[in-house]
Amino acid sequence: MFSGWNWVACGLYLLLSISSFEVSGGLVQSCGHIIPESPVLALGSNFTALCILNESCLDFGNIYAHQIIWKTKNRVVPKEQYREINRTVSSVTFNDTSSLATPLTCNVLADGQIEQNIYGITVTVGLPPEKPKNLSCIVNQLSKLTYPMTCTWNPGRPTFLDTRFVLKHRWPQENFPDCIPKDVNNSCTINDVQFFVNLELWVEAANALGKAESDPLVLDPIEIVKPLPPHNLSVKSGLLPTVLKLSWDNRISGAVMKLKFNIRYRIVGDTDWMQVPPEDTASPRTSFSVQGLRPYTEYVFSIRCIREDGVGYWSDWSEEKTGVTTEDEPSKGPSIWRIIDASHSSASWIVHLMWKALEPSEANGVILQYEVTVRPKSSLSSPPEKYSVNTTNLTLKLPNGTYEVSVIARNKEGASPPSVLLIPASNSKAPVKNLRALPKDGKLWVEWTAPNSYVLKYVIEWCLVSNSSDCIIEWQSEPGNVQETYLKGDIKPFKCYLITVYPLYDDGQGSGLSVKAYLQQDRPSKGPTVQTKKVGKAEAVLTWNHLTVDEQNGFIRSYVILYKTVDGRETAVTVDPSKTEYTLSSLTSDTLYTVRMMAYTDEGGRSGPDFTFTTQKFGKGEIEAIVVPVCLAFLLIVLLGVLFCFNKRDLIKKHIWPIVPDPSKSNIAQWSPQVPAKHNFSSKDDHMYPEGSFTDVSVVEIEADDKKSFSEQDLKPFDLLKKEKSTSEGHSSGIGGSSCMSSPRQSVSDSDEGETTQNTSSTVQYSTVVLNGYRDQTPVQVFSRSESTQPLLDSEERSEDHAGGGDSSALRQQYFKQNGGQDEADTDRPCFERRKQITSVNERDLVGFAQLQILDQSSQLLGLELEKNTREAALPDILQTNTEGQTVRPEAVGGNPLLVDEMPKSYLPQTVRQGGYMPQ
Amino acid sequence: MAAADSPSATLRRRDLCSRGIRLAGKMRSDVIDLLDTYVERQGLDASASVAVVEGVPAAAVEHWDEQSGTQRLLENLAAYRTFRTLLAQMLEEQREQLGEADAGLGRALAAVLLQVSAFAYHLEELLRLESRGAPSEEEAGPPQPLHLGLFERKLRGLGVLRELAQWAVRSARDLRQLAKPSLGSSSALSTAESP
Repeated sequence: MFSGWNWVACGLYLLLSISSFEVSGGLVQSCGHIIPESPVLALGSNFTALCILNESCLDFGNIYAHQIIWKTKNRVVPKEQYREINRTVSSVTFNDTSSLATPLTCNVLADGQIEQNIYGITVTVGLPPEKPKNLSCIVNQLSKLTYPMTCTWNPGRPTFLDTRFVLKHRWPQENFPDCIPKDVNNSCTINDVQFFVNLELWVEAANALGKAESDPLVLDPIEIVKPLPPHNLSVKSGLLPTVLKLSWDNRISGAVMKLKFNIRYRIVGDTDWMQVPPEDTASPRTSFSVQGLRPYTEYVFSIRCIREDGVGYWSDWSEEKTGVTTEDEPSKGPSIWRIIDASHSSASWIVHLMWKALEPSEANGVILQYEVTVRPKSSLSSPPEKYSVNTTNLTLKLPNGTYEVSVIARNKEGASPPSVLLIPASNSKAPVKNLRALPKDGKLWVEWTAPNSYVLKYVIEWCLVSNSSDCIIEWQSEPGNVQETYLKGDIKPFKCYLITVYPLYDDGQGSGLSVKAYLQQDRPSKGPTVQTKKVGKAEAVLTWNHLTVDEQNGFIRSYVILYKTVDGRETAVTVDPSKTEYTLSSLTSDTLYTVRMMAYTDEGGRSGPDFTFTTQKFGKGEIEAIVVPVCLAFLLIVLLGVLFCFNKRDLIKKHIWPIVPDPSKSNIAQWSPQVPAKHNFSSKDDHMYPEGSFTDVSVVEIEADDKKSFSEQDLKPFDLLKKEKSTSEGHSSGIGGSSCMSSPRQSVSDSDEGETTQNTSSTVQYSTVVLNGYRDQTPVQVFSRSESTQPLLDSEERSEDHAGGGDSSALRQQYFKQNGGQDEADTDRPCFERRKQITSVNERDLVGFAQLQILDQSSQLLGLELEKNTREAALPDILQTNTEGQTVRPEAVGGNPLLVDEMPKSYLPQTVRQGGYMPQ
Repeated sequence: MAAADSPSATLRRRDLCSRGIRLAGKMRSDVIDLLDTYVERQGLDASASVAVVEGVPAAAVEHWDEQSGTQRLLENLAAYRTFRTLLAQMLEEQREQLGEADAGLGRALAAVLLQVSAFAYHLEELLRLESRGAPSEEEAGPPQPLHLGLFERKLRGLGVLRELAQWAVRSARDLRQLAKPSLGSSSALSTAESP
């Protein structure tokens, strides 16, 4: 504890000792100092500083050199750069002064811990001056006797030090005071110089690190004079209208310098200067007459000067002065043109004469009036008519003919040469050739090839083509020897101009040749609006209208149709600009397309609005190709169906509304004791079982031997059939015929049915007729086929033998076979044969047959006509014959009533199942 | 003279003559202007006649056209050295008299003095080219300062300026004569310009 306080006390004592030493030694007296004191160092050089401690401090404060710490701007210098020379001197070395910061201080650690500054220096780092270069001088004349000379030079790189530049000059035998620049380091002005003696000039640059001199410049200041421009310039009109006289004063003595001059001039309003040939003004002077000027034109003049031998500098241009040349008579007549309006009368024209006001360069003064002379060419005797006008147009009503119109312009100095125009009856002479117009240098140029004949001059008419305004004609005239010109008017870009060139001959004018042109083209202001005219499955006909001329902004070079599907890539088609319709092909059917159209000029294109359309699902004729055949097929099927149905109507009838024999009206019913008395088959009952209510028909086959039961009269109509068939097939044995056409009457009445009926001579089979309910009618009682095999007639056995089957199923099988197979000729043929046999049999055994028979088509073809003829004749007879109610009236089906033959009383069913056939 | 035959010496001589002639012309022009200013500022009469100033060499000379080139140069050099001394005295007197109040006259005097010095340098160079060498200043003998009254000094100054103007004309003629090919060692000299 004690030792700690002891150390602190020692430290305080040391500090107080150093401080007291400093204070007692003077205001600024330290324990040491640094050598060199505030040095100026070259940038990049090495530098060594020494810190020397005072001897007194060694003993007093125990400060030695090894305790020294060097710092640059509060940053400790690494000890590697220190060197303890002896116990009082420490050095520090810097290899590159560019990194040396200022101040550089020498410090010690008092008592090993407390840092105490001993001394500090400011280090200045910079560069020695470079040799000044590019020394040049100019003597600017300020007044008649004041010629200050200003010299400039390149001072070189920055030195970062205070560097002094001095311009020195001397004569060989005399030195002059230095010229010290003010505020700059690269120029200095010597106020007064003497000419004609060589002056040596050079620049000295010096700073703390060195001194440099430029190369000397030896010159006579008179050679670098920039004189003041001449002044008091005046311009006076000369005697001639093309001359102006200039005069001026020079501001430099001829003894000092002889001068030559430049004179420039321009027309007021122009920007381009013209210059008097320098050789004309290459000698000292104070006046000059400028010639070759335009009459009555205001000119601006300016002048400058330089030493006569061209050594030195040109003066500035003098102030500008203007002058006006005097008037002269117009140099040429005004260009004249006409518009002939012949629509008012066939005998006279309204002629609008127009001429151009002369350009100032041509008018040569103020045009006071125009004199127009109209001289008829046809009648030379008639005097010419003269008009004096102040305007540039004149409208005359002239009889048809040829006239020579001349116009002269007049000013106060005289009249112009006349301009002559022939007004011909028609423009029938040769036009120019190869007319074309093109923009060039901001002008719209017209070029053409001259006709073969000599052309006096050309007239170029043009007008702006627009939808919104009329074509207002402007024109200009060109000499006959030119073949190109530009339109001298307010030609607007993006506008269409119709340009017509007329050649004028000695004896008239040629036809005009026209061309359209643009000064500058642009993209169209809008694109065409496209729409579909017709859309098909794979193609679409697009149509659009041409852009108006105001919308085109240029020549439409092409149309481009861009179309795409919703998710597809856009396809472009280029279309000729003359077209207004285009057919897109190879499209996908039933697809939504977006189409737009771009119109292109030379400068680009612009798109019109989008238009969408959907291609059709079916192409043109596809539907027809599908529908028509389908319809035809359908019709054919229907027709075939109808024909089939017609042919098979009996069969159909059999299946749908079979005629169910009414047992109550049959002979058997009448005969049968079980027939209930209440059965009353009236005509009303016929309607109870309309067609189609039968679902099944059974044939009652009855062997009828008693052919005598039919009267001869009844059989008469069938003779023809019988004869015909017998002649073709011969007379059958009667066994087979009984199975097919047992009843000649039925055969005739249903002649379109080839169906043969079984010969029921031996067996009576009762079908069970199942009646479904027809409409709202009560189903009819079902007839059940009788299972009785009781022979009814003797012939029944024979019939079964011939039919090849004795049971009812066999018969039915035969029946259906005949009924269902039209193409089974083998089956049909026996049917015919059988029918013949039956016919022959019927002639013998018709009485007592009750048979439903469906004839096949073959039989129908054979018997159709016959049927028609015989039906009407035979039916009444038959019905009349069966007046006793033994005959079942045929139910009319489509005009083909089925006949139910009268059942002979002698053929009775032996067994009738109770209720089996009884109508309800 | 015959020694200066090298092309460079010829060109140098031609250049010196040409510029000397111009300098003489300008000097005369400036002296004429200075005379007007001097007369005005010193309150003198421009028509005042001035007696021959002592120490001032006379420009007029008999048989001028018979003089040799070297003789012309020597006379010119002597005259202009004298003028240089006189003008320096005038400038000093003018400064003593007017101080900085009339800096314009002082500047004009200084400018003429410089031109006189420059012309003397031209002459010395020409003599050097003639292998003659210029005489020393002491050889010509500077005019001794005179103790004159103020008005006399003014009149003497007027006389100095008038004589200087005369000498300027003569010097131009002398140099033009020297520049002639027949008299010079080179035929390259062109016709000198008149001041």
